[in-house]
Amino acid sequence: MSPESLMEVRDLHVHFPLKGYGVVRAVDGVSLRLAPGEIVGLVGESGCGKTTIGRCITGELAATQGEVLIDGERVARRRHSAVRRSIQMVYQDPATSLNPRLSVRQVLAELLRVHHLVPRAQVEGRSRELLEYVGLPPRALDGYPHQFSGGQRQRIAIARALAVEPRMLVADEPVSALDVSVQATILALFAELRERLGLAILLISHNLAVVRHLSDRVAVMYLGRIAEAAPRDDLFDDPRAPYTQVLLKSAPRLSQVGRTPEAALKGDPPSVIAVPSGCRFHTRCPRAEAVCAADEPRLLPVDGSGPEGSPAEGVRAHLAACHFRAERPGARVGVV
Amino acid sequence: MSDPALRVDGLVVEVTRDHERFRAVDGVSLAVERGRSIGLVGESGCGKSLTLRAIMGLLPDRAAAVEGRVTAVGAELPLAGKGVAAARRGRLGMIFQDPGTGLDPVMTCGYQIAEAPRRVLGMSRAQADERALELLRLVGIPDVERRMRSYPYELSGGTRQRVMIAIALSSEPKVLLCDEPTTALDVTIQAQILRLLVDLQEEMGLSIVFVTHELALVGELCEDVCVMYAGRLVETGRTADLLARPLHPYTIGLLRSAVDLDAEVTAPVPIPGSLPDPLNRPSGCAFHPRCFLARPACETADVALAPAGPGRASACLYVEELMTRGLGAGVP
Repeated sequence: MSPESLMEVRDLHVHFPLKGYGVVRAVDGVSLRLAPGEIVGLVGESGCGKTTIGRCITGELAATQGEVLIDGERVARRRHSAVRRSIQMVYQDPATSLNPRLSVRQVLAELLRVHHLVPRAQVEGRSRELLEYVGLPPRALDGYPHQFSGGQRQRIAIARALAVEPRMLVADEPVSALDVSVQATILALFAELRERLGLAILLISHNLAVVRHLSDRVAVMYLGRIAEAAPRDDLFDDPRAPYTQVLLKSAPRLSQVGRTPEAALKGDPPSVIAVPSGCRFHTRCPRAEAVCAADEPRLLPVDGSGPEGSPAEGVRAHLAACHFRAERPGARVGVV
Repeated sequence: MSDPALRVDGLVVEVTRDHERFRAVDGVSLAVERGRSIGLVGESGCGKSLTLRAIMGLLPDRAAAVEGRVTAVGAELPLAGKGVAAARRGRLGMIFQDPGTGLDPVMTCGYQIAEAPRRVLGMSRAQADERALELLRLVGIPDVERRMRSYPYELSGGTRQRVMIAIALSSEPKVLLCDEPTTALDVTIQAQILRLLVDLQEEMGLSIVFVTHELALVGELCEDVCVMYAGRLVETGRTADLLARPLHPYTIGLLRSAVDLDAEVTAPVPIPGSLPDPLNRPSGCAFHPRCFLARPACETADVALAPAGPGRASACLYVEELMTRGLGAGVP
């Protein structure tokens, strides 16, 4: 059905039983698709399930229900090594994701040898090439993680992920632990790797600016479900899910110096054990009506036309899970 | 002009690392008027948190404030020694980045908020509990009776930070020191906490010192801003003016490298190089190895914060050039 999709997640559910309390529905019916070379941003607040999705895709976690497909083939959590290699993870904090007792050379050489990726004689050359991909000089091979800055460490972590020749990276908050002046360089590196190697990237972040900067398409999550998914500019210029609108309003912007901070949302996110009935956002939503507490809206095209579906169908579609998705926010507040 | 609520003059903090001492904060001076807020901005390791901790008298063992004066609400505060806490009581309060670790996990919120009124202000238990309820209402927590009996683990991150603010306010300070209080929170909750701080500032005449690495946050909250690099202030001014017309290459670099929500048109330009090792501080202007404007004089000259137009100061030797050329001129 979808020959050009590299990775696809279909109706994924991940539930964690909590003894005596119930079940945490961390991911509760998410479908997502990445084409080769595509960068998709997955945004949402802490606890919305975005990292759990990433961990299912790489095989770190088993899905409760639903499936993960790579090249159209269904894969389980335990995978053939060639399949496992095709999707690699980059973590938030390179200070803890790198082994402090291994030099960069040892980290890369071990991977290259274990996976028989290059003949023994070429391990050194390939290691240098990997460092070149991430913009580090060959002399970095002899360094240990503590000798590098945060940005350089993240480059080493990316080189390690690239060593096994993946076609897709799952980058989980890859710049959140970095200083502001180097965040931009790591984002630029991801963009460059996509160009050079045709890598697909699932960019998981709570930071809307980071996601806007790099992604082709964006999915916004709330409490285990996708609230809105669209090509980047559609989502940021014309957000239709009230949750997306609130997120955009809450984010600090340099262009809004002097504005009084506005608390667009009252209250805290609901408990993941007791997800609200109907639309999960209705308890905090400024637009909520009676119908929202009763009926859970499906993720549908905002213009009302076209087939019903999920992001797995119609890649360019603008989808929102809101009963009032056809309304534009401007019309809603009565802007003349 | 009236006496500022908080005044810091020539603060120097020395830190010991690997048996070597270096100046992590090197001659920082700032003043906050009553009912105003000032932002202290810089990247990790620039000394902004140490500055705040030195003001509060809460430096870690490896650090010591060796020079400088801190005056708050008309009294000079000792930087170390016996009377540190007593001198700050009723003058300064502080909140921290991670509200999860700042609270005592085995004490109820009510107990922790009522502690200072009881022990310090000499209230009876009933009076102190009444005061704690008032404070919980003040920081916008619903269902206060129940929250009095809640333990920190029962609360969300945003509510915990509100409780931290209530505790900080319980000894009735005039100045609130905030060390990245929203960094650990989600954006929608961050907006709520910022709003609360603005309301407290207006309603109680509270003065605020807000430490953050994010310029956009300072823009929303603070009237004034100080930019810090490698232990020194490199630029100060009114926030709106400074962000619109930065007069130090580091500030320009920070603004141009920021991955901002509206900045997708102009791709962020990173600052080349990395932060200097404090044990190996560059000579002259510490920013010169990364600076687009650097000239031979920058490697030797002793640069200091100097006035640069009304309400502004910059520690750049070539500030006049920046004033005439405007933002980003000469950036490759």
